[in-house]
Amino acid sequence: MDVYRFALRNISGNPFRCLVVVLCAGITAGMLLASTLILLGAGQSLSKAIHRLGADIIVVPESAAAQVESALLLGHATNAWMPAAAVGQAAVVPGVQAVSYQIHLATLKNASCCTVSNMFLMVYDPETDFVVTSWLEKNLGTGLGLGEAVGGSNVFTPAGEKNIKVYGYPITLRGNMEPTGTGLDSSLFLTLETALEIARESVIRAEAPLVIPEGSISTIMIKVRPEYDIGSVARQVAARIPAVKALAAPEMFQSQRAELEGLRNGVILLLVITTGFSLVLVGLVFSMALNERRRELGVVRAIGAPRSFVFRTLLVEAGFLGFQGGAAGSAITILALILFRRLIIATYGIPFLTPSLPMMMILIAGSLTGSLSGVLLAALIPAYRISHEDPTIAMRE
Amino acid sequence: MIVLENVTKIFPRTRTGKAVAALKEANLEIQPGAFLVITGRSGSGKTTLLNLAAGLTRPTAGKVLFHGEDWWTLPDRIRSLERARKIGFIFQFPSLLPSLTSLENVALPAFFDLSEDAREAYTRARELLCSLDLGDKLGAYPRQLSAGQQQRVVIARALLGRPELLLADEPTSDLDDQTECEIMELLKRIHENTRTTIVLVTHSTQPVRYGTQSIHMAAGQVIPGPMAGDDAVKLL
Repeated sequence: MDVYRFALRNISGNPFRCLVVVLCAGITAGMLLASTLILLGAGQSLSKAIHRLGADIIVVPESAAAQVESALLLGHATNAWMPAAAVGQAAVVPGVQAVSYQIHLATLKNASCCTVSNMFLMVYDPETDFVVTSWLEKNLGTGLGLGEAVGGSNVFTPAGEKNIKVYGYPITLRGNMEPTGTGLDSSLFLTLETALEIARESVIRAEAPLVIPEGSISTIMIKVRPEYDIGSVARQVAARIPAVKALAAPEMFQSQRAELEGLRNGVILLLVITTGFSLVLVGLVFSMALNERRRELGVVRAIGAPRSFVFRTLLVEAGFLGFQGGAAGSAITILALILFRRLIIATYGIPFLTPSLPMMMILIAGSLTGSLSGVLLAALIPAYRISHEDPTIAMRE
Repeated sequence: MIVLENVTKIFPRTRTGKAVAALKEANLEIQPGAFLVITGRSGSGKTTLLNLAAGLTRPTAGKVLFHGEDWWTLPDRIRSLERARKIGFIFQFPSLLPSLTSLENVALPAFFDLSEDAREAYTRARELLCSLDLGDKLGAYPRQLSAGQQQRVVIARALLGRPELLLADEPTSDLDDQTECEIMELLKRIHENTRTTIVLVTHSTQPVRYGTQSIHMAAGQVIPGPMAGDDAVKLL
């Protein structure tokens, strides 16, 4: 019987202590993993969203800048418009390499003419677009034809159907983009030609017609020449075009970043409190359990166990329990994040992209190490104290 | 085998806050092959003497020599190994580990001595338990055994390493008269058959007849008993 088997046998003999330590370790690991996953997932999601939008500067109507940003992340169309003439004004600003525009629309809510209710439709102009077109050429080899679209990662053609109905118009899904964790994953990307065709047909096919205000657009996408500073070009664009806000990509989603920052601070505080509380509780439980076992451990020392054996046994016991709790806490956290992903997004108003499997494994290993270290640290002092106690005094208790 | 030279043991703190001198300048030599019975009332220092002899507690003053070597000049690892290999313990209180079976409890000391083979330890533990009529209790946990059976398992554990010295601290105090007789006969048999040195501590005078020598203790001092003149025990 080695230290490990001996420790395992001791663990099985004290279910209450095991339960408390496993619970504390589970809560610590779960908190650690959940906070890291949410913060990392949200941060990654924001970065991917900026990359997906694909422009150095995005010009939005000044009155609805915050709503447009939020809409891009959460996948809701806003009713914010600006004159299409602004595209030409932006094109002549020094440092601007390419300009395009997008029109943001949505399908009808709970209408039989639309397969997906209130779906975000992102309309682009293939003549000038440098965002969706390059993705299409790279992944599909060609651009989109009339009646065709690409979807975000969550968009799919319903089983048994050949296409997706938008205002009664059949749209063929040509492919799906990579996930970003934002509302863009549930959006449909289509050309201006297709959008205008849907609008024309919607008069006879849909429960309500699709209206695209003439001469109006939702956003202007700007690509800046490499030698120019994005921030200064954005300031010039905002100065030349009235009633717009020019958002430089690195500065986009400020309110979401602020939300994330606030969340980060709150989570760190909660994590410190929870971990501290767990450590104290585990330390207390270990002290109590070891006090109950003083005579037993005194006997073990008397019949020939060196201090180091007793010390290692107690730490191995703590380690086993810490690992079990950490594994259970991590598993429950991952399950909860999968089940309540939408609730988290809705509650905090931030996007959330589940990290890749290797990253997830690293995070799980990290949280397991964290909970294990915490439990070992909490058990260290009681284990040292009891293993170095005079066995005759221990046996007398 | 064991020599106590001017050994004093003071327990510095008690619940009343006063220091207690459990043993006062004791001088004693225990020769190999002795069956020494130490009698005395509760609190007379018998158990402390036993613990000092085993190197379990450090004397406040004086020296305790085991085979000529001061216990407390040895590092903890060596001291523990010496106990595992050469000393068997029988305690007054239930001392079996509740999470281990009888067989595992008996074999346990072998695992502290890394040179021991696990299979051999289990074989010997099984033999010992069978010889003590506990062959059908190998897989039983302590809570499934009677007090007498538990004490026989403890004796088997103490004998596992074929110890040179068997220290028994009131081994029959919690047992009925019949079981007490059985245990004492067993210890006598072990002494006669193996010439193992036995030091037995008791508050009763009954077990004195089983020993070859005896001493008495009162207020932390060693007093010659009825058989103290034997060569095997010397009050220095």
